[in-house]
Amino acid sequence: MSIKTIALKSVYILMPATILLAFLWAPPAAILGDSSRIMYFHVPLAWVSILAFIVSGILSVAYLADKKGRFHGLVETSYNSAVIGFVFTILTVITGSIWAKISWGVFWNWDPRETSIVIVLIIYIAYFSLQGALAGNENRGRIGSSYLVIAMITLPFFAFLVPRIYPSLHPDPIINKDRTVHLDAAMLTTLLVAILSFSLLYAYILFLMKRITTLKKRIGDYHAAD
Amino acid sequence: MTPARSSSAAGVYGLGSDIIRNLRKDFRVEFRSRFALNIAVSFAAIVTIAMSLTAGGAPFPAAVQSILLWTVIFFSAMNGLSHIFVREEDQATALFLRVSVTTDSIFISKSIFNQVFMMILLIVITPLFVFFLQVNVIHIAFFILSVAAGGIAIAAATTILAAMVAKAGGKGSLFTIISFPVLLPILWVSINSTTGALRQTAPSYDNPVFLLAFSGFISVISFLLFRSVWLED
Amino acid sequence: MNSAHYILNATGLARAFNRIPLFTGLDITVKTGESFCVTGPNGSGKSTLLKILAGLLSPSAGSVTYTADAVIPRDEWPAHIGYTGPMVNPYDELTARENIEFACRRESDPGRGHALLDHFGLSRHGDKKLKHYSSGMKQRLKIIIALVNDAPVLILDEPGTNLDDGGNDLLAAALDEVRKQKIILIATNDAREEQLCGGGVRLG
Repeated sequence: MSIKTIALKSVYILMPATILLAFLWAPPAAILGDSSRIMYFHVPLAWVSILAFIVSGILSVAYLADKKGRFHGLVETSYNSAVIGFVFTILTVITGSIWAKISWGVFWNWDPRETSIVIVLIIYIAYFSLQGALAGNENRGRIGSSYLVIAMITLPFFAFLVPRIYPSLHPDPIINKDRTVHLDAAMLTTLLVAILSFSLLYAYILFLMKRITTLKKRIGDYHAAD
Repeated sequence: MTPARSSSAAGVYGLGSDIIRNLRKDFRVEFRSRFALNIAVSFAAIVTIAMSLTAGGAPFPAAVQSILLWTVIFFSAMNGLSHIFVREEDQATALFLRVSVTTDSIFISKSIFNQVFMMILLIVITPLFVFFLQVNVIHIAFFILSVAAGGIAIAAATTILAAMVAKAGGKGSLFTIISFPVLLPILWVSINSTTGALRQTAPSYDNPVFLLAFSGFISVISFLLFRSVWLED
Repeated sequence: MNSAHYILNATGLARAFNRIPLFTGLDITVKTGESFCVTGPNGSGKSTLLKILAGLLSPSAGSVTYTADAVIPRDEWPAHIGYTGPMVNPYDELTARENIEFACRRESDPGRGHALLDHFGLSRHGDKKLKHYSSGMKQRLKIIIALVNDAPVLILDEPGTNLDDGGNDLLAAALDEVRKQKIILIATNDAREEQLCGGGVRLG
């Protein structure tokens, strides 16, 4: 087994470990109580949503820049990453809403970070609509990638806008301005393990989807040769 | 033939003449049928009158008025701005266009056309809206600046999206769907900006400046991406 | 630009659609003064080959170069090529003259459009919108569009479509007039048009 396979397969151990740590080992938070345990899923899900989105964007730029076609599968991987990101974004919204209902009393209140995740969600929906409409078009990859690039470069503008318009109810970023950590050691360890295992889960799914894409291509070639 | 310099000068003149030829053609074709403009303007008029009617004569608060104004502008624009590219694909004239003028000039001339289209739309919609919804504009110059800057930003951001939609077969509301995430920050800032023009306190020029900066930025990126979108390979 | 001697050189051309190969390993050389004909059954890739030679599509493999005094960069090909084909549709909302005006490049002679309208018997209909044209008249206009810039390379995809006998004669006369100074590439299934050409390739 290669190092890559071992790293990917370690998800099988890390994921159950995360669940055990989150529910049994980590202490409940001071005010929020046991409901705070959803943090060990919500935060990593949100992290992967953004990670997948960024990977998608970077691969799109690379694909558009690679005019000579030296790298294979960039556009397919970018699309696959967006698919995973989309699912994770929905899960982030669901877990976030549950947590919001418990701690703030409402499912949704257009908090800045809720707004940002909705914008990401809308971009994904728009991107998949465009990809669907382009089915069968030879230029699908280039047009889809161009759209992702356009949509992504508008995101920094939101970052300037959103916090100025609405105050945030979200807990402070884990490491805030004075570089102090607000979680105790056990909670922090659990959170970091959770983030690691969710990231690996993302990589593992991406790897599986890449194999599917490759197989589909091969089947296509096989039929083309008839 | 003297190399580099003369050929690059010829390139610039060539680009200019291509843009002018293409604009002349686009204005002739679009304003002979006036299809896109008629639809967009009629839509705006109907929605404005419908809102005024249901409001029953009572004026809305300033914030609501500017939200409604930009909603009308957004949906009217979505009815018309993609037509300039979709028409070329629908009527199968895209290849004739491609062999006749350079790709760069296509993007530039269609952007100019969409800016003009948007301005005409705003010149019709805004007075209509102010009249029917009893908008009390306090800072008139700033109001005009806000509406114009928002319009420029909408046209700038959606031109390349119109090209994408044209390549996807120009299907129904796809243009609205893919434009929405890109237009959200523009609408957001435009609404704030026009609200400022309807209130007593002196408005901040940050918002229109943001809109114009955004327009320039997204136009440059669109120009760079246009070949990838428009050319078949 | 007419005086220069042009050489079209294509080597190892191949093109596939959805990984299904259309043609492979084509080598073509044509010089100014020569005419070249592409024939083959429907779907054999005639139009695709001409589009590749016109720089409108990229080959899956192989390369195309045009050489005059020096190798012409691909970006500048359109200025040297007059192209028309079934998919080149002029604007229905415009008149024939307006379409020609649009097709006519800055450096070209605007008088040439009038002369060509005359030659193809369309001058009476020059101010009519194209939506009132018959398909044969449209085809004549498409040929005018390819000729109007007096480009040193002419690429005509099925130029005889919808033309009556008179139209075909006019086309042959127009091509004969410029044959010596141009590279002419034609895709056709018409034996008459095939005879207009010196060499050729058969696809499929």
